[in-house]
Amino acid sequence: MFGKAMKAIFASGVMTVAGAAGTTALAESATVKTIKERGTLMCSGHNGSYFGFVEVNDKNEWKGLDIDLCRALTTAILGDPSKAQIVPLSWAQRFPSLQSGDVDIVIKATGWTMGRDTELGLQFSLPYFFGGTQLMAHGDLGISDATGLAGGTVCVEAGTTIERIVADYLKTISVEHTMVSYEKAAELRSAYLANRCDAFAGWGPNLAVLRATEIENPDAHTILNDQLSSEPIAAAMRQGDESFVDTVNWMLAALLLAEEHGVTQANVEEMAANPPNPTVARLLGNTPGIGERLSLRDTWAREMIGAVGNFAEIYDRNLGANSPYKLDRGLNNLWSHGGVLYSPILD
Amino acid sequence: MAVSEFANGTGSGAALTRKTWISRVGITLRKRVFASPDMAGLNIALLLVLLWIVWKMIDWAFVGAVWGADQAAECKNATGACWSVIAARHRLILFGLYPYEEHWRSTLACGAIIATVALSCLPAMWSGKRLAALWVSGFAAYFLLMEGSLLGLTQVTTDQWGGLSLTLFLFASVVLLGMPMGLGLALARRSDLPVVRGAASLLVDFIRSLPLLTTLFTAAVVVPILLPSWLQGDKIWRVIIAFALFFACYQAEVFRGGFQAIPKGQFEAGKALGLSRLQVLGRIVLPQVFRHSLPGTINMVVVTFKETAIVIIIGFFDILASANAAFGTGEWAPYYMEVYAFVGLIYWSFIFSLGQYGEYLKRRMAVAKH
Repeated sequence: MFGKAMKAIFASGVMTVAGAAGTTALAESATVKTIKERGTLMCSGHNGSYFGFVEVNDKNEWKGLDIDLCRALTTAILGDPSKAQIVPLSWAQRFPSLQSGDVDIVIKATGWTMGRDTELGLQFSLPYFFGGTQLMAHGDLGISDATGLAGGTVCVEAGTTIERIVADYLKTISVEHTMVSYEKAAELRSAYLANRCDAFAGWGPNLAVLRATEIENPDAHTILNDQLSSEPIAAAMRQGDESFVDTVNWMLAALLLAEEHGVTQANVEEMAANPPNPTVARLLGNTPGIGERLSLRDTWAREMIGAVGNFAEIYDRNLGANSPYKLDRGLNNLWSHGGVLYSPILD
Repeated sequence: MAVSEFANGTGSGAALTRKTWISRVGITLRKRVFASPDMAGLNIALLLVLLWIVWKMIDWAFVGAVWGADQAAECKNATGACWSVIAARHRLILFGLYPYEEHWRSTLACGAIIATVALSCLPAMWSGKRLAALWVSGFAAYFLLMEGSLLGLTQVTTDQWGGLSLTLFLFASVVLLGMPMGLGLALARRSDLPVVRGAASLLVDFIRSLPLLTTLFTAAVVVPILLPSWLQGDKIWRVIIAFALFFACYQAEVFRGGFQAIPKGQFEAGKALGLSRLQVLGRIVLPQVFRHSLPGTINMVVVTFKETAIVIIIGFFDILASANAAFGTGEWAPYYMEVYAFVGLIYWSFIFSLGQYGEYLKRRMAVAKH
C-alpha cells in the first residue's frame, strides 16, 4: 500500500522534473544549471560506512570510491572538489531522496535493475563497477579457480540468490561438491575459518573486505578467479534530464580515457602542456570542444583528473592495491586489460 | 536484608564490636550460603563462574588491551581490547561529520544542551517564565554555535551535524517540545467542547497507531515531495517536529492516567471556593497529575533517549551511525566490540543519570504528599 502510494508520488515528481528539463541536445542540463546556481553538488553518502565505497576518515571527512566519483563530477561541473556536499542517506532512503531533490545524484554501490530503471523513474549512467558472486578458498589448497574445488565442500548463506547461483555454476562446469548452507553470515564465516568448508561464496567486494579485515592472515586465503554472476553498479539520476546523464557518462568516460592514455593526477599538467596524441589533446581541452558540448569549461576533465586522478588511481586508493582491501581489478579493469570497462569514443 | 533480620532476632540495640560483626557475617554465610553441601557447592561454583567472567572482562578490557591511537598494528597481536580505535576515532563518534577544526563549537553546543537539561531538572527553575527563558537561550546557544553563520563563524549545515551532539540535541528538543504538547493534548481530551475533544482523541490514536519509523520517514522523505519548498524547512526540523508529536501523543496518555487518578470532588471543591478553572488546574490538579504520572514520564523519557537511534534509518549521523562509521574502515573493522562498548557506556551514563533523577523526584514528591 505504502509502496504504491510512494510510487505514485514519485511519478508525479518525475513528471514535473521532465517538464522542466530542456530537450534539445545542446541545451544545458536543468540539473547542472541548478547545481551551478546553488554552488554545490549534492551527492548520496551513507548512514555509517560501506567498506571501500563510502567511508569516513579520522578527520571526519568522507572517502571511498563512490565519494571520489562524486568529487570528480563536482570538479567537472563546478571546478572544485570541495563543493561536493555529501548527504548521509540510508539504503531505503536513496531513491526517494533523489526524487524529492534532496540529492542531485545517487552514487552509492547501486545496481542497475529494470525495476529501478522503469517503475522508479530513474535513469542510470554507464556502469563503473561490476561486482558479482565469487568464491573464496583456503590458500593452502593451492587452487586459483573453481575447477580445483572438485570433491570439496562449499559453504553459502541459506536462502540467498547466491546459493542458487553457486549450485548452477558448479553444475555447469561439472564440479562435484558438497554444499552446506548456514543461516547467518557470521556462522558461515566461522564455519569457513574453522576449516569446515574448503570455500565459501559471497559478493566479491565483501569477500575482499572480509579477507582484509576480519581474517587474521589475509594471505592464507584466495579469492578464486571465477565470476559466477555480475551486477553492474552505476550512478542513478532522475528521469527526464538526458543532458545530465551525458555529463555523468562523460565524466566516467574521461576518467577511463585518462587511465587508458596514462594521464594521471601527477602528470596531467605535463600532458596538457605537451599532449602525446589527439585524443589526449581533446580530453584535456587543448583542442576545444569537450567543454562546449556539455555546457562546461574546456578544461573540466583536466581539472577533474588533477583533483582526483584517473579511474585506476581512484580504484587503487579505495579498493585496490593502495587500500587495506587489495581487491584485484578483475572485471573492473579496462577492456584492453581483460576487464569490461570501456569509454565511448571521444571525437 | 539478611543481616538486619539477624539483628532483629538477637534484639541487641548496642553498638556492635568488630568481633560480633564478623561473627554475624559468619552466621549469615552459614545460614544463607553453606546451609547444605549441595547449596554450598552450587554457590561456590556460581561464585567461581562470576569471578571467571569478571576476570575475563578485566583481562580483555585492561590487561591485554592496547591504548595508543597509532597502534593499529599492535592491535593485531593483542590478546585484549583494542582501545586504539577509540583513541583514533572518538572524535568521529562524538561529533559525526562535523568539520574537524570546528569541534570546539560542537563541544560547547553539547555542553549547552546538557546544561539546559540539567538546569530544567532543578526545582528552583520550575516556573513557566524561567523554564521558557532557559530553553530558548539553551537551544539558541546550541543552534548559533552549531550553525555558526550568525556568529560570524564558518557555516556548518545541518546535514553535517552528528554524533553525540546530534543525539543529545534530538533528545532534548523532542522531550522539551513534546512535553508541553503532550500536556496540551491531555487537556484537550478533557475539554467540554466535543470538537476539541474528538480532534485530540483522533490525533492521539492516529499517531499512536503508526510506527515511529513511518512517522519519521514521512517527515523526512515524503513531506518534501508534497509541500512547496518554502514550506519544507530543513530535514532536521521536520524530523524533530514529527518525533515530538509522536512523543506528545504517548505522553498525553501518561498525563491522562494522572488526571483520572484525581477525585472529581477536588474540582468541585475548588469551584465551591470560588477559584477560577485556571486556578483549580494550576494550583490543585496539575501538581498532583505530575506526581501521579512521574513513573510513566521517566519511562517515556528514557525510551525516547534510546529511540533517537532510529534516525539512522533516515540518514542522520547520530552517535550509533557515527560509531558504525568509526569501525567501518579497513584499519579498524575488527574492533567493533570496543566501539559498541564505548557507545554503550555513553548511553548507560546518560540513562542511569536520568533514572537516578527520577528516583530523586519520587522522594521529593513523597515528602510533598504528607
